[in-house]
Amino acid sequence: MAKHETPLLDQLESGPWPSFVSDMKQEAESRAKNANNINYQIPVDVVEDLLGVLELSYKDGETHWKHGGIVGVFGYGGGVIGRYCDQPENFPGVAHFHTLRVNQPSGKFYTTEYLKQLCDLWELRGSGITNMHGSTGDIIFLGTTTKQLEEIFFELTHNLKQDLGGSGSNLRTPADCIGSARCEYSCYDTQDLCNHLTQEYQDELHRPAFPYKFKFKFDGCPNCCVASIARADMSFIGTWKDDIRIDQESVKAYVAGELKPNAGAHSGRDWGKFDIQKEVIDLCPTKCMRYEDGKLEINNKECTRCMHCINVMPRALRPGKQTGCSILVGAKAPILDGAQMGSLLVPFVEVNKENDYQEIKDVIEAIWDWWMEEGKNRERLGELMKRQGFQKLLEVTGIDPVPQHVQEPRHNPYIFWKEEEVEGGWERDINEFRKHHLR
Amino acid sequence: MALDYEECKQKVLDGIEKKSKSKSKFYFSDLAKMMDAKPREAKKIVTQMVEEGILVFWSSGSTSMYGLKGAGKQSAAEHED
Amino acid sequence: MAFISSGYDPENPMKDRITDIGPRNYEEFYPPVIKNNKGKWLYHEVLQPGVLVHVSETGDEVYTVRVGGARLMSISLVREICEIADKHCGGYVRWTTRNNVEFMVDSKDKVQPLIDDLQGRKFAGGSYKFPVGGTGAGITNIVHTQGWIHCHTPATDASGPVKAVMDEVFEDFQNMRMPAHVRISLACCLNMCGAVHCSDIAILGYHRKPPMVDHEYLDKMCEIPLAIASCPTAAIKPKKVEIGEKTVNSVEVNQSRCMFCGNCYTMCPCLPLADKEGDGIVLMVGGKVSNRISAPKFSKVAVAFIPNEPPRWPKTAETIKKIIETYAADANKYERLGEWAERIGWERFFEKTGLEFTHHLIDDFRDPAYYTWRQTSQFKF
Repeated sequence: MAKHETPLLDQLESGPWPSFVSDMKQEAESRAKNANNINYQIPVDVVEDLLGVLELSYKDGETHWKHGGIVGVFGYGGGVIGRYCDQPENFPGVAHFHTLRVNQPSGKFYTTEYLKQLCDLWELRGSGITNMHGSTGDIIFLGTTTKQLEEIFFELTHNLKQDLGGSGSNLRTPADCIGSARCEYSCYDTQDLCNHLTQEYQDELHRPAFPYKFKFKFDGCPNCCVASIARADMSFIGTWKDDIRIDQESVKAYVAGELKPNAGAHSGRDWGKFDIQKEVIDLCPTKCMRYEDGKLEINNKECTRCMHCINVMPRALRPGKQTGCSILVGAKAPILDGAQMGSLLVPFVEVNKENDYQEIKDVIEAIWDWWMEEGKNRERLGELMKRQGFQKLLEVTGIDPVPQHVQEPRHNPYIFWKEEEVEGGWERDINEFRKHHLR
Repeated sequence: MALDYEECKQKVLDGIEKKSKSKSKFYFSDLAKMMDAKPREAKKIVTQMVEEGILVFWSSGSTSMYGLKGAGKQSAAEHED
Repeated sequence: MAFISSGYDPENPMKDRITDIGPRNYEEFYPPVIKNNKGKWLYHEVLQPGVLVHVSETGDEVYTVRVGGARLMSISLVREICEIADKHCGGYVRWTTRNNVEFMVDSKDKVQPLIDDLQGRKFAGGSYKFPVGGTGAGITNIVHTQGWIHCHTPATDASGPVKAVMDEVFEDFQNMRMPAHVRISLACCLNMCGAVHCSDIAILGYHRKPPMVDHEYLDKMCEIPLAIASCPTAAIKPKKVEIGEKTVNSVEVNQSRCMFCGNCYTMCPCLPLADKEGDGIVLMVGGKVSNRISAPKFSKVAVAFIPNEPPRWPKTAETIKKIIETYAADANKYERLGEWAERIGWERFFEKTGLEFTHHLIDDFRDPAYYTWRQTSQFKF
């Protein structure tokens, strides 16, 4: 029998969508039964108490957790989030219930062998409840005691060859889309760039010395499946410089209705016969395409690579071959001065594995040097950009201004000219002036 | 030029001591200011002080701070000692 | 329970310590068909909801069966996923950014047995363990935060509202009848550790009462300068308070400046703000992150407040359903929710959805507010 009655949570067991309540109950039962005779290192009834405290929140309409300042394992300033229950006497199993962030492999592919090792470790030393995955991308181990933190870290590093992720004012665990591993749109190897930079910047990831959090995200194309443009301080979005590759025969096949538009993604409704004019040509944001006499033409010079035509006709159209990425910087959620999208800083850079991505690292490190010196406490990069201006960002990264950097030129003429930009400088002789202008 | 560890450490300890009546936790930039160093140089000193067990991290989850080991009111409140 | 040492020596934490090794290398985890065809993929097709085929220039194919999952997942369920992956997929599996699980096989004949196996598994309570779906122009899984299960500043739960909403829209998880894909996200407070601000529909927990001040204990448990510094709107000031005979150091909250973020509670447990009546849900709509056709957009507040209604949040689920159905009936093919709302105009959006427009929906927060007011004589009656 369950330790706590959970009449409210029980109502979340019905309905088709996977019920986390049913899942937690099965874990609670599994621990109680302990078929494999595991010497649980935290209370056996931890999941029962977790259900109990959640039920209480459902009744009270209020959380029962407190934050704790505990941050990580020895020498690390991130990777652990401290949590304490504010009803420890009623729910002793979760009185101390800290989270560990485990740095997921790029692309989130797994072998079952590895996952089972993770499960075994988390069964022995934690609650057996996870998040697959947290918002940033980490594998989240949800709930263990303080004493187990070092033990888990020791086993992770020694037996699973696996490190913790980031939290606090550091580089947060970078995350990527599936990339060229299984997507024909991807303009670069997101997994390799993500993994390389994660390894390169381990010190920044584990030992916080930034003004605030800093996120990298890697999208292989402008469809932005990991939402880099909305939430990463630096987002790396795959793109190309040359022409969209066209297979005219497949274009005809789409027009003839032999191939399903948008790779079959709209098959749940009868949208009528595919109309290339209406569905592709007219929706092109730059109107750089035309279809005449059975031939699709793209004025590639005017294309802004929005992906729509490629998404609609993936068997006929492919991104070009001269690929790389654009770097946008400064995205963040609304707190505090409002949400910010990433702003374009580097229109195009080759993603070059051969030289360990040096051009990209040069940009990253120039930005960090600036932000670490000038950023106020708890100021994201995007806010520093607003405070000191885009010009300053260009100056510290040594990037020349181009029209691509702006949506439109400034609305006011209040240009803060520098003295060296003005012919003759600012030093003038008032007496010389007075020779021609009476007082 | 590399900074002298002992000298910087003392500056940090003095700086923290000066403020100890009002607070026990400091942003990284506060520590860098105490030793009058560039962030990247300061980080090396701070990392070594952490490894020697002098400084410990504190985190709000989103923001990180540093303090002397055992100092502050919250560590006592969390009953971890 | 007897303590089992991992080998870690608390007296000597640096002994045999391994640090800074990062994650495991992704290449170790690629199934052979992925390893052999990486960078060589030619095209893909959604064969049916939840089932994709990718075709390589080598002639190889990979079939992916995508299933929804609660991101809150037990190791029992992860082990079951492993069992399925061992049985059908050579011991490989992957997760998507939106908490779905992908099982991949390298030939078509392996697909149906896999689907049958996945769809046949149910929890004791009756829900699917692995519903197949979440592709194309449908409604995929909701990305979300912790909520009441583990967070200290949530204004709502996360897993519960997600379950309730996904139950409500479940048919569209397994269908592709929408004009474009619909991305729903949930963050349980305005700090948005799940960045929901660019979603077609964002469910956001929101507090509406400033923190209470536990004067008697505040100076004993908290560092006042930190509590003051934590406030993003500088609404907290030091204050001396009389408690009986004694004068204690405490703080005062300028309530009209409070934006209800809870950052002070993070720093100081003597400033709690959660409240059953005060807390609830804001619905935001019309955001997107893709650069397809139009530029990425922020979500806009469409419903200022819905009370928390555990365990199934009926008003929230019903309102979301209403927005989605209006969109599905009225938008053009390929048009995202935000693009539709902009085409018809927001005045029409409120008319068609039947949502009430109140003063709360007019931006008055700092600089960006002005840019959201209407600066033209063009509008619809």
